[in-house]
Amino acid sequence: MKSGQAEIVETSKGIQKSGLMSRRIAILEFILRIVAFFNTIGSAILMGTTHETLPFFTQFIRFQAEYNDLPALTFFVVANAVVSGYLIMSLTLAFVHIVKRKTQNTRILLIVLDVAMLGLLSAGASSAAAIVYLAHNGNNKTNWFAICQQFNSFCERISGSLIGSFIAVVLLILLILLSAIALSRRH
Amino acid sequence: MAKESTTIDVGEPSTVTKSSSHVVKKKGFVAAAAGGGAKRGLAIFDFLLRLAAIGVTIGAASVMYTAQETLPFFTQFLQFQAGYDDLPAFQYFVIAVAIVASYLVLSLPFSIVTIVRPLAVAPRLILLIFDTLVVTLNTSAAAAAASIVYLAHNGNQSTNWLPICQQFGDFCQNVSTAVVAASIAILFFIVLIIISAIALKRH
Repeated sequence: MKSGQAEIVETSKGIQKSGLMSRRIAILEFILRIVAFFNTIGSAILMGTTHETLPFFTQFIRFQAEYNDLPALTFFVVANAVVSGYLIMSLTLAFVHIVKRKTQNTRILLIVLDVAMLGLLSAGASSAAAIVYLAHNGNNKTNWFAICQQFNSFCERISGSLIGSFIAVVLLILLILLSAIALSRRH
Repeated sequence: MAKESTTIDVGEPSTVTKSSSHVVKKKGFVAAAAGGGAKRGLAIFDFLLRLAAIGVTIGAASVMYTAQETLPFFTQFLQFQAGYDDLPAFQYFVIAVAIVASYLVLSLPFSIVTIVRPLAVAPRLILLIFDTLVVTLNTSAAAAAASIVYLAHNGNQSTNWLPICQQFGDFCQNVSTAVVAASIAILFFIVLIIISAIALKRH
């Protein structure tokens, strides 16, 4: 009987320990979500506030550059704004995961939404990256001129805003992995 | 077996504990079989989706690789030959989609393991982790190529980039088909990840 009671105490301690691990995973997820939110909203704002007007007049090229002029950059701003809004709203669900015990169905929902947002964000980031690469280097075969040679600060801003977006992509991947690990644990 | 009867029914006569532990064990088996049956069905669907995704990604990579066009006439400003290696975004597309296709082939054994042992957690977790990484690679390749294709179709007024599709019609069509095929592969991957997540759930 005593050994039985000792076993009950041991297994309940085991449950407590792994419950603590799940709580730690949930807290880490919450923190990562906040960091990813700041990254995406920063990227969206940085790209959305680009505006450069050249002081001189050239015959062929327009002397104003904005993020509106390139549809891939517009898509980038929209995607980052949508993902940052989603991250803020999912903070409530992440908080529920910290306090509640039986979180399996909500975790599955969170994984599905996270994967959809990951697809959207990486699509926006890489299409903007392709356009930024083209703006830096141009292309000889298609006679596409490298506009960065005229618009310096515009180019710097659009290149810098890509970094925050890619960091947010990595964080989203980490969030999905953490959710999957927490889902597959016994408790 | 003696341990189980001690923790479940403490202080009851031995015959009763034996039969109740027997019943509990049987219930445990039935529950495991029911969960295992549904998970096995999900694993089979996962395997079939992987086969379909292999076909789609190999198709996308090969269509982009062989997209080539030589114009019959001579133009003053544009070059009269177009291939996938003229644009770095398309080169990235071919390499990335080839990596995705080879990952899918390598992940088939893991999928078979999840069919054979539906209650095992480790293969499903590995598949989910690597599927997430690979779907990011696939999405970035498809999106980069799509933005270049959009530019080739429409051009851009503000930057004076001319739409090259007006000259290279066939090349443009092949390249667009490859991008669409890669996007279909992305949808397959999302379904694969959802299946892995649902199957990871412990009842």
